[in-house]
Amino acid sequence: MSRRLAAEDGVVGGLEMLAFGFLTFVVVALLLANAWGVIDAKLAATAAAREAARAFVEAPDAATAHSRAVDAARAAISGHGRDPDRMGPTDIDGAFARCERITVTVTYPVPALSLPWIGGLGGGPTITATGVHSEIVDPFRSGLPVDDQLGGDCA
Amino acid sequence: MILMPAAVLIMVVLGALAVDSAIAFLGEREVANAAAAAANDAAGAAIDLDEFYTSGAIVLSPERAQQVATASVNATAPDFLDAVDVDVSVSPAGDAVEVTVTATVRYIFAPALPGASPTVQVQATAIAHPEEAGPG
Repeated sequence: MSRRLAAEDGVVGGLEMLAFGFLTFVVVALLLANAWGVIDAKLAATAAAREAARAFVEAPDAATAHSRAVDAARAAISGHGRDPDRMGPTDIDGAFARCERITVTVTYPVPALSLPWIGGLGGGPTITATGVHSEIVDPFRSGLPVDDQLGGDCA
Repeated sequence: MILMPAAVLIMVVLGALAVDSAIAFLGEREVANAAAAAANDAAGAAIDLDEFYTSGAIVLSPERAQQVATASVNATAPDFLDAVDVDVSVSPAGDAVEVTVTATVRYIFAPALPGASPTVQVQATAIAHPEEAGPG
């Protein structure tokens, strides 16, 4: 009788360990999946910023440069399997002039999972993945003004 | 029954290694993009104008290439890269610029593992040549 009770105690303890181990596994797997989602969004945002910067500096004129950059960023985000409507505003710092350095910043929010015990990544409802790319407008392009602060020779 | 915690632990560690490897891959892509953009900028904006107006040759100025490439990388490098270093060299003929960007990436989960390095070094090199535009 006493031997049977001891065996039951052992089985109960093992089942608890199984349940605890499974819950731990689920929580950590969710944390890893969330981290991977942020990394993937970061790759997409970086590609979008790069494509937007290229489109901006290669635009034919200032009137279409911004819209072309935004379109290129949205296409890059879409190409990475993400929703371009969720993308943050494409921030372009710099003017469309020869020798001017322009910097494009693209953001993409990633929902942050709130996990038991460990909370989650980022400490908020979303984590913002940011991509930044910078390029110089071709100093020898024709038909564009030159940045006066650079002295007219890009030096 | 003892195998269950071991299996969970192994799966968690492998998942953490996968995410950290992705972080390192992301860092490599970032420095590769930074190097390519810096080389492209240097090839376009570091042309020695004095030499061009004197002889008509399109050659790059090493000092100007260093300035342009460093500014480009500084404007692009994300905050998760540490110890970013930019090495710029112009070929003796002045017709090519080579930009090498080196940085350190911080892992997310590796610091929690005993014996694992908390960082990894990433490096990328890009070469660009200035070319005279064709007609039109």
